[in-house]
Amino acid sequence: MRKYLFIIKTQIMSNLQYVFNIVFGFIGYFIMLFILFNLWKYLYSDQSELINGYTMTQMTWYVIVTEILWMSLGGRKLCNKISKDVRSGNITYNINKPYNYIGYCLSTHLGDIFVKGLIYTFLGMLTGLLFLKSFPDLTLVNIIVVLITSILATSISALIIIAIGLISFFIEDSGPFYWVYSKIILVLGTIFPIEYFPNIIQKILNYSPVYVVSYGPAKLFVDFSWDKAISIVLAQIIYILIAYSICYFIYKKGVKRINVNGG
Amino acid sequence: MAIIEVKKLSKSFKVKIKEKGLKGSLKSIIKPKYKIVKAVNNISFEVEKGEIIAFIGPNGAGKSTTIKMMTSILYPDKGTIKVLGYDPVKDRKKLSYEIGTVFGQKEQLWTHLTPYDNFKFFGAIYDIPEVAVEKKIEELKTLFELEEFINTPVRNLSLGQRIRCEIVASLIHEPKVLFLDEPTIGLDPVVKENIRTLIKRMNKEFKTTIFLTSHDVGDIEKLCKRVIIINDGQVVLDDTMENLKYHYLNKKIVDAKMKERVNLDDEDGITIIKDKGYNLKIEVDTTKRSVADALKLLNPDNIIDINISNIPLEDIISNIYKNKD
Repeated sequence: MRKYLFIIKTQIMSNLQYVFNIVFGFIGYFIMLFILFNLWKYLYSDQSELINGYTMTQMTWYVIVTEILWMSLGGRKLCNKISKDVRSGNITYNINKPYNYIGYCLSTHLGDIFVKGLIYTFLGMLTGLLFLKSFPDLTLVNIIVVLITSILATSISALIIIAIGLISFFIEDSGPFYWVYSKIILVLGTIFPIEYFPNIIQKILNYSPVYVVSYGPAKLFVDFSWDKAISIVLAQIIYILIAYSICYFIYKKGVKRINVNGG
Repeated sequence: MAIIEVKKLSKSFKVKIKEKGLKGSLKSIIKPKYKIVKAVNNISFEVEKGEIIAFIGPNGAGKSTTIKMMTSILYPDKGTIKVLGYDPVKDRKKLSYEIGTVFGQKEQLWTHLTPYDNFKFFGAIYDIPEVAVEKKIEELKTLFELEEFINTPVRNLSLGQRIRCEIVASLIHEPKVLFLDEPTIGLDPVVKENIRTLIKRMNKEFKTTIFLTSHDVGDIEKLCKRVIIINDGQVVLDDTMENLKYHYLNKKIVDAKMKERVNLDDEDGITIIKDKGYNLKIEVDTTKRSVADALKLLNPDNIIDINISNIPLEDIISNIYKNKD
């Protein structure tokens, strides 16, 4: 475990070079939030109205959290990196090191997005306070639980994207798979909470990655309950095990197919 | 005792073949065709502890494929490999703690970090306690003369400095065998010489076995006592440098500036390489004729200036490649 924490630390050190890039990248996040904030303002007649169990304030905070999770994830970059490593044969240089490749990828990625996540969380919360002039009713313990579920959500997202990237062992380009995954998460979990969809779809979404990678932490942030928190953390642990096993299976199968000609 | 044992090792690659043009492209989607390329074909050799061995061959000969099989990166089709008693396929993790690899064309350092931070990183991934890492860094810093730039980000280092750091990074965990794949590629002659000296010093100091591939004859000549030449996936020569030179250096080059022209056209054991009237360059086959004999033919009184040299090792190696084609 120590080596993976060290990998995260090393990646954070390396990434501190790009703090200003991250801050500028926040402009895109801010614009997105501004549009959605105005959309909710238009849909809600007043702040106390409930639509599918959410007030306008809750809806805005929900989107703030899901967008922080999604935009700091840097999924496309991770998928492209793994896909490129597999196709170019660069992956081979990691094979003869005494670490698990999946663990290495996950650690480098978590380290990579740590600074970004912190800055986006700080600026996102600040934007929420600016727009809404209020903060959800959360205790310090509640906030810690939300943070834990957010870290688990990011880890699951990263593992799913690593699995998608590793598909490059078998097909030329895993980009289309990532595109489909990103759109599912964006539409079904980031912009709208699960409760906004018809019952039948809600049932499916409750067992889908959407529940654990975006809905879960955001739902707890806007409407915390211990029952919900336990069910989300449990689902996240199960998802981590499933996603890791899938990654491991694809990697084990794929690594035997490596053809690296020449030096 | 052999530290590396390779027996009857083979590896083939399946390569897709495509007919030319659009029709060929469409055909290859519907009914792809493949051909089998034998990258390594039944090779065997052994390496003793503490040896510096040159593993050389032309491009596409199978050098890198062999190294990658020895370092657990590729799976062999046939044959067995034992490195320090480990099977690279089954004992990948255990072996990784015992070997180091430097690929001259591939960076393994984190470019935004300093060499010091990189070394600490490598120490952590090889599970070395903090104190031991610090001690090792200190030791290698002196040996590889890194004081000046150990705290400069890697991206700001020259290629020579970077390669030195790459080698140090691969030595942090004190590997017993170090695989160097073209470590001096792209370096200027002075830096090359410096890297060679450091590699030699490291071999002497830590008794590290070094398995080196290089296209640079200087690396081979100055570092290695034994050479394995591989071509078309097969070992074509496995001998000591001394023997290689002894057997293949039975030819001398005589470059002479003459007062008068000399005709050596039909002389046995002499091949004329260049004849520009008063400047003559000949190759003397010493198994057929001694150098003294050749000089007599030139007539010492007729010679203004003379230079007698061995055939460059580069030419010898090229000849070995060609003869086995």
